[in-house]
Amino acid sequence: MAALSTFVISQPAITERIAKANLSDLSGNDTSEKSIMVDGGVNVSMCVTEGNLKVNGWNRKEVRVLIKDGSKFNFKVLQKDPHIGNPVWITLTGLENTKGKDPKPTECVWGDVIEMDIPIGATINIKGHETTTTIDNVKKVSVKNIGGNISLRNIRNGINASTYEGDVTVEASAGEMTLESSTGNIIAFEAAPSEIGDIFKAKTNSGAISLQHLEYRQIEVNSISGSVVFNGTILSGGSYGFSTSNGSIRLSLPLASSFRISASYGFGTFSTELPIKIITEDVHPGPVKSINGSLGTGDATLRLTTNNGSVAIKKQ
Amino acid sequence: MKNNCLDIGLIQAFLDGETAHDETIRVSGHIAKCNACALMLAEAEDESAIVFPALEREFNTLVPTHRLWNKINESIATERDHAPFWQKAWAYLTLALASPSIAAAAGLILVVGVVSAIWMSRVPVSNDAAVNANPTKTSSPVENITTNAQLNPPTEFQITSVSQPLAAKFERAVYHADNRRGPAQSTSGKGQAASNSYASDEESYIKTISSLSRSANEQKDAVMRPSERVAFESDMAVVDDAISKMSKQIKQDPKNDSARRVLYTSYQNKIDLLNSVSQRQELMASVK
Repeated sequence: MAALSTFVISQPAITERIAKANLSDLSGNDTSEKSIMVDGGVNVSMCVTEGNLKVNGWNRKEVRVLIKDGSKFNFKVLQKDPHIGNPVWITLTGLENTKGKDPKPTECVWGDVIEMDIPIGATINIKGHETTTTIDNVKKVSVKNIGGNISLRNIRNGINASTYEGDVTVEASAGEMTLESSTGNIIAFEAAPSEIGDIFKAKTNSGAISLQHLEYRQIEVNSISGSVVFNGTILSGGSYGFSTSNGSIRLSLPLASSFRISASYGFGTFSTELPIKIITEDVHPGPVKSINGSLGTGDATLRLTTNNGSVAIKKQ
Repeated sequence: MKNNCLDIGLIQAFLDGETAHDETIRVSGHIAKCNACALMLAEAEDESAIVFPALEREFNTLVPTHRLWNKINESIATERDHAPFWQKAWAYLTLALASPSIAAAAGLILVVGVVSAIWMSRVPVSNDAAVNANPTKTSSPVENITTNAQLNPPTEFQITSVSQPLAAKFERAVYHADNRRGPAQSTSGKGQAASNSYASDEESYIKTISSLSRSANEQKDAVMRPSERVAFESDMAVVDDAISKMSKQIKQDPKNDSARRVLYTSYQNKIDLLNSVSQRQELMASVK
């Protein structure tokens, strides 16, 4: 990466370079479509003010963008591979129509539907205002929306997704993950680390967190007023923290799990179907009770905290 | 006059003002008539003039006079007569321990006593630990444990299908664990250090929250829609309630680590909530 050079190219130059890079422009009234040849591991950055964004990974070294009923746009190449010459970092810029003048470039694009095809080895960074985002089959994703649901599938090397109003759903993905929502739910299904030490973090303020079939050694989950559900395995030496201020925590774990558990709960109950050895417990009057115990050899650490809700551990 | 000449010691005492009234009159009268004694007095004065400035600091310190020494000795004798038995015993012990052989013997007895005390205090705890270390032997009933803190009294840790003796054993184990932890912390000073550390941590959280609250209160109306604002205030109320309850609990029981953990989590939640307002504003500003 150190050999790569950075280019910040003026607008006419971009148009020319993109034309050389097999650009096709099929723009109609409110619909624009363009494509650009890129490196297989290209980094795509974009800002979307409004729309339904769908990103799909394909097995071509090309980025294609279709905006239906929305703004016109251009590609801006920020960096190229100095040896091959293909763009390794591009961004989308909107074009704002002005009467009698050339379109004025803007940072963000918008449209009723925004479809993108990018290489499967690509990384995509999205900032959005009111954007429903669906991304499938790319290497790495970073999405930060003010509003709108985020749905991610088949992401192979890490996710950073946050929305202030909407749900975050992740499926069949791998890598380090940070999922955040202010007023929405977080759902993760079949996720695993891509490298040793990858951490899974999920946080929501007013929503539930549901995690199914996760294979991480480090998981940190926190909700303020929502329940937490985890169905997966506790790996040896792992560290697992599940907390909520106002909701229940429900875990479904294999009988052969091995962990040390430290559970704090307020107004609620603690129940387990697993043969956990209770080492200490404190159920004195007051807003917080605690139970410490272990199962098996106690290789992993499990911390459960709820102020107002029950803690339940069920057998898978 | 030579035969009647004064002793140099008396002259020095006269010079130092240590002679009695009658003696002073006699010495001064004699010196007025005797040239030799006057000469000795002059020489003594000259010597004093040289020595006194050099030793001024030492002379300025209060030196007990003979009368004062007498009074001190009388007071010591009186105190000794009225001293309680334990003081006399302590004085005797101190004198006795000055002997190396007696001191070595006393040290040996002390070590044996401490070791015995520790061993005896651990015996019941190890029994309980054995009970706890192997609950699975009694455990088919333990496999389904349910506590209901809200409905039950604190010591009634409800264990479904568990016999009462086993529940009692669990409770006793907790009691010993707490008892062991308490004195150890207080004697080592670790408890106090940890308490200070917690206080500084809490102060840091409160300061951060205070500074974030000001900016969040200014921004939240501008960046949030009504529905989001309701959710924000609801979450904030939940967090504030948790902070309030846990702070109260920690004031009552400063060693309650669970309450402290929940308190810090709640502080962090509040910071995250407040931070989300400014982060949202930044994102809104960048997406236009």
